Formats: sequence, C-alpha cells, structure tokens
Amino acid sequence: QATSLKHQKFNNLASIQLLRYLICVFLCRVDKDRSGVISDSELQQALSNGTHPPVSPLTTSCSLSAMFDRENKGGVNFNEFAGVWKYITDWQNIFRTYDRDNSGFIDKNELKQALTGFGYRLSDQFYGTLIEKFDRQRKGQVAFDDFIQCCIVLQRLTDVFRRYDTDQDGWIQVSYEQYLSMVFNVV
Amino acid sequence: FKSQHRPTCNIPPGVNPEAYQWFQSVDTDHSGSITLKELRQALVNSNWSAFNDETCLMMINMFDKTRSGRMDLFGFSALWDFMQQWRALFQQYDRDRSGCISGQELHQALAQMGYNLSPQFTETLVGRFSVRGGRPGMQLDRFIQVCTQLQSMTQAFRERDTALAGNIRMSYEDFLTSAITRLM
Repeated sequence: QATSLKHQKFNNLASIQLLRYLICVFLCRVDKDRSGVISDSELQQALSNGTHPPVSPLTTSCSLSAMFDRENKGGVNFNEFAGVWKYITDWQNIFRTYDRDNSGFIDKNELKQALTGFGYRLSDQFYGTLIEKFDRQRKGQVAFDDFIQCCIVLQRLTDVFRRYDTDQDGWIQVSYEQYLSMVFNVV
Repeated sequence: FKSQHRPTCNIPPGVNPEAYQWFQSVDTDHSGSITLKELRQALVNSNWSAFNDETCLMMINMFDKTRSGRMDLFGFSALWDFMQQWRALFQQYDRDRSGCISGQELHQALAQMGYNLSPQFTETLVGRFSVRGGRPGMQLDRFIQVCTQLQSMTQAFRERDTALAGNIRMSYEDFLTSAITRLM
C-alpha cells in the first residue's frame, strides 16, 4: 500500500511538472508582446483558442486577470496564470456536474443548485435577475463563460458586503460615500 | 479628397449625419453593426491611448437596445451624442488643459454636476482610475465611465434614502441587486 501511495504521489508530482511545462509552452505563445505579463486581451484570446470554451467579457474589471493580478500590473505572470488555469478548470468541473446534457449551458434551476452548493442563499426573484443579466445569448440559460463572470461578480460583491456587515446579520447601514466606494471597488 | 460617403439621402431619420459618416468608417467589416473591437479601435483619448475595454463595454451595453453585444446605426448615433456631451464637459473641466482630469478638477466637476462628495473621495477615484505608472489623472474614457456609474449608483442610493438621511440600511440581496442590475 505504501508503494502505491508513493507511486501515486510521484504521478501527481510528475503531472504537476508536466502541467507547468505545458503552461509555460502555452504562455510563450499567448504572450504576444513578450512582456512577461499576460494582459486581459491576451488571456481572453488564449482561453478561447485553448481547450476551454471562450471567456468573453461582461464586466472586464471583474475579469480573471484582475482577480489574480497581485501587483496591479494589468495582467498575470506565469505563477498567477497557473492560478487562473486552475480556477477555470475547477469552475468547469463544477459547471459540468450541473450541465447534465453537456450543452454548454445551465438553466435557472441548475444555476440555483450550483450557487446553493457554493453556500449562497438567494431568493427565486434574485435568480431571475441573475439569469436576465448573465443570459447574454437570450436562451433562458447561462453559458459557461457567463457563469464564471456571474460567480466572480457575486463573490466580489459578497466580500465587500461582509466587510461592512460586521455583526453578520445580513444587513448593513452605509453612508452615500461608503455605498459608492463599495460598488466602485467591484466595478 | 475623394469622398466615399454614400449620398446623404440614405441617412435614416433621427440619425445624426456626422454619426452616420463615422459609423461607416468604424464598421470596418461592413456588417451594419459595431462590435466591441470595432468601437475600441475607433475611440482615442487626448494622449492617443485607445479607450479601455470597460468603458467601451459599458457604452455598448447602454446603447445596444437589442442586447446582442453589437450596436446598430441608431444606437451608434445616440452614443455619438453622448460622447460629444462628455467630451465637451471633459474639456471644460480640464482647466489646466493637461489632457487629463486631476483630483481637484474632478472634485470641482462633480460639485458643479450636483454631487456632494469629499475631496478625499474624488482623490481616491482619480487614483483608482489613473493610467498605471503615469502621473495621477483621468483620461476621457475613465471620466465618462466614472461619471456614468456615479450617476447610476447615486440614483440607486437615493431610491433607498427616502428620508434623505444620507444613510441607508440594506439587506444582502438588496445590495447585490442594486449593484448587478445597474453596473453592466
């Protein structure tokens, strides 16, 4: 058993190294201007040419590179890109478990199940709003890239809300400027 | 100068003739509608930098009544008027003619537009929306983005501040809804 565990560990390590190598090769192709930093547009292009479905912008400030760009340099470097890659793969796996017919779309009920699975407790009316905003192809369903956008926006808004909801009762009292800075932080 | 413009009688009613001609040059693939990419290539700031994606996307979302991610001639004509207004305001408030709006200039601009905001807050806004690595100051694209969003957020706040107390109490879902419905 110990050998098989060791073997498995080795396999994991090997696959991580292989993955790092593949990402490196991939990044050299993606980083068109050779700046060492993958900009948002390079990232979008890369993701739509790769094995992942295209990730198109709805709100670019809630974009992937903005989430992973630690130094505010306008893009992601190699290590941060590995984070983006893992993030997308994780989301894709989650998306697939709800996209039962493999259509690349999830409907309102599936979106609700997915977000409830992440711990969100939201009303039916709110899911209606979400579908309306993120169903950009007007199918009554949400595509994978819009699903990621939706999750990122929700996560960022929730984070900023929590900062003000110090007693955690689900209510906040904010002044005009506080409200503006809360929303400007996310957009 | 050989003009390739079509006869002006082709301009549909309600469309600004200048916007019509600009539309023809921006619609590079002659599809009859403007995509985000085409719009981005058409708009420049006073320092010749292209408009940022967020502002272009925001404007497409504002004027794309079909919600197709593309703007037709009518939407584009409305956008043209919108841009002219903001460009004039930008030039008016850029008092030192530096081509960008400083924290102090933004504070004066917003005060004249009727916003009651502290100098600290406007300074933070300029800091957040300045070109990275450059000296602090807002280009036209950011000025349009900030003013438009400020307008929309202020409206959201006022709808909830019915007692005009300057403070609002919001639930989690109300906060999410106010932000999500207005900002895209």
